[in-house]
Amino acid sequence: MAPSLTRREALGGALAATLLASCGGGDPPPSTGPAPGSGAALLGSLLALERAAVAAYGTCAEQLDGRALEEVRAIRAQERGHARRLEELIRELGGDPPAGRSEDDYAREFPRLGSAADALRFGEDLKERELRAYLEALTELPSVELRTQASRICADEGNHLGAIRVLRGLPAAQGPFVTGAL
Amino acid sequence: MAERSDVELLEDLLAREQRLLSAYEAALRREAIDPALGELLRDHEREHVRALEQTLAGRDRNPRARVAPPELNAALRSREAFGRYAIGLEEDAVAAYTEAAAAIGRPALRQPLGSIMCCGAAHVVALRNSLGERPFVP
Repeated sequence: MAPSLTRREALGGALAATLLASCGGGDPPPSTGPAPGSGAALLGSLLALERAAVAAYGTCAEQLDGRALEEVRAIRAQERGHARRLEELIRELGGDPPAGRSEDDYAREFPRLGSAADALRFGEDLKERELRAYLEALTELPSVELRTQASRICADEGNHLGAIRVLRGLPAAQGPFVTGAL
Repeated sequence: MAERSDVELLEDLLAREQRLLSAYEAALRREAIDPALGELLRDHEREHVRALEQTLAGRDRNPRARVAPPELNAALRSREAFGRYAIGLEEDAVAAYTEAAAAIGRPALRQPLGSIMCCGAAHVVALRNSLGERPFVP
């Protein structure tokens, strides 16, 4: 097995554990207000993921400079915007967004990043996971309005993923279908 | 009614993909795009067209007319002009997929449409990068 694959798996495994904790165990439950099936619980999971991503890209930024740092900062700023939008949507459904965890709290669970290459690989892995979460949400969210909001954020995530891949020296689009196929 | 609506959404997406495919084919013939990038994007569009045609197969279809837009000829004069033209086409397609992935009635189609949407978003990044611009512009 190639060393890079081993490292990627290690990074991905650590990240998966972090995100599972952030979506399921580490954060308070999203809300008790909205009706079951409203989509608020799923939005709460996406919100936890976005908050973990904001913290993760902050950690990545510590290893980057120049163009890569600018891009990752811009991506992180847009992730903050996504988190705010998700909070609004949860409130519109009658819920209270979960309080979330501090960035330091998230950061303690991230893998140790020793180089810019590590940071970008970690960033790409995280972005793929975010993207898959939004694609799944498109199937599960109950209303066109909520799905439209998720779809818009998902398009941003596709843009981010492409940009990180370019920074890694890879083609922006990894294939004709980011996940799955018709 | 819902089925008809789904077909209309898919026909619109197919027309956009065919327009993109034609544009990349023309750009490759006229050397208006870097060959490696042009071939990659063209091949992706072919796959999108194939997938949409496969999804539409056997349904009561109402195919859209295929007419090359007049702007394409002007865009083929230089790589810079074509890059900007293609970015516009890709961004329009991403917007159409954003709407379709949310609105389409068949839940099983939402995820694959979202997947193509993300590929289009990455194409925009690739084209911006080919023009020497920042790949990610919020």
